[in-house]
Amino acid sequence: MIIDWQPLILTFKLAAVTTAILLCIGVPFAWWLANTRIRLKPAVEALVSMPLVLPPSVLGFYLLLAFSPEYWFGAWLDREAGIRLAFSFEGLVVASVIFSFPFLVHPVQAAFQNLPRSLTDAARVLGKSSLQTFMHVLLPNIKPALMSGTVLGFAHTVGEFGVVLMIGGNLPNETRVASIAIYDEAEALNYAAANFYAGVLFFLSFIILLAVYMINRRAQK
Amino acid sequence: MIPKLIDNVIIGLNMNIFKPIMLTLLLLQAKSSICNESSLTVAVSANVKYAFEDLAAEFTKETGVPVKSVVSSSGKLTAQVKSGAPYDVFLSADMKYPEALYKDGLAVSEPKVYASGMLVLWSARDVDLSKGVAGMADGTIKRVAIPNPKLAPYGREAIKTLDYYKVRASVEPKLVYGESISQVNQYIDSKSVDVGFTAKSVVLSPELQGKGKWVEVPAESYEPIAQGLVMLRHGQAENGDATRKFYGFVLSDKARAIFAKYGYKLP
Repeated sequence: MIIDWQPLILTFKLAAVTTAILLCIGVPFAWWLANTRIRLKPAVEALVSMPLVLPPSVLGFYLLLAFSPEYWFGAWLDREAGIRLAFSFEGLVVASVIFSFPFLVHPVQAAFQNLPRSLTDAARVLGKSSLQTFMHVLLPNIKPALMSGTVLGFAHTVGEFGVVLMIGGNLPNETRVASIAIYDEAEALNYAAANFYAGVLFFLSFIILLAVYMINRRAQK
Repeated sequence: MIPKLIDNVIIGLNMNIFKPIMLTLLLLQAKSSICNESSLTVAVSANVKYAFEDLAAEFTKETGVPVKSVVSSSGKLTAQVKSGAPYDVFLSADMKYPEALYKDGLAVSEPKVYASGMLVLWSARDVDLSKGVAGMADGTIKRVAIPNPKLAPYGREAIKTLDYYKVRASVEPKLVYGESISQVNQYIDSKSVDVGFTAKSVVLSPELQGKGKWVEVPAESYEPIAQGLVMLRHGQAENGDATRKFYGFVLSDKARAIFAKYGYKLP
């Protein structure tokens, strides 16, 4: 059997890019959510958590319409930037960021909320700017939550299937990730190849989750 | 009579909370045992879905036997049958899958061609289809959907026609692969792609007729897709009479007229 590594490489590339973006926008967002007093907070929290309960096909369906160059968002992107997100790696990244957002935001937000308020106050009194306080005082104190949020966001992107099936178009090296390749090979009755990809994902998912639980245990000690 | 019996049992047990649940369960059981006796479950390849509605209605009118359909891609249906799915008859999109089932002993009749599928180019966007397949190389067309050629015979033939018109090299980077004809239709209908290769039966269906525009792909540029019919082992064992009747019906003149209406070529 000739093994095509492309779907696996693509899967981990997608997960890595998604996780990097998640960290850049998810962590500040989680901090804001932990500290905000706006009345809409429950609504914002509900919105962030939606991907946890929505069937991926719902998200896939709306993204398919949103990315289509016939509807306003897709048309606007196409016109202004010449970007078509449907059936592209970039489109998958956008979808994955939305889909994995709560997996990073939840643990990080909870950790921020558990930090004593006096930590921030002390840093500010000692003359640190709010950015310095955030980077050098708050973040180091929520390291375990950051780690598990990152790992969960990464793992969840690796495991994504429904959304990719609906908006990916199964393009080799572009959107044909491992979960899609399994589906494809199984349908072609090519069980050996499906078994290979499935086995790799099975094994890696276990390792990733094992890492999360080990981090958590160490943090509790 | 049965509900009354159930009532007695339940009142006797005096379990008010469970009453609705038990009633439902018993009714479901009663219903399913009735269904097993006289209804038929047919595995239907996605491209036949539309013609099948007419086919099933006509068959039920003639024989009084209700027909349920499970619509999916032929590959998936074949995998399901291999895992023991309780289907009686299988209308595939090609000959390969029925032959595989026949070889494994899961199909009990030799695969027979019941209709041959024709390819069309279909678009819901404002693109020029007048140059047919050769026109797909044009710069104004950015995305072309085809069913996955590895799985779907319609996709395999679409690739052949691209070869025939010598535009494969320039069209291939624009291709988007649907997992079945249905997903290709969804990509076309949602206008996510400019144009796509699909089955003629799709654009002739009452649901989609008049939506967008389509042109026929000239038949000399590919091999019309011979679609195979088999009786499945489950059908013969559990449902022999209805299964044989339906099998015969699909090959009858009445069914042929329906297939012709949906743009299939007949054997």
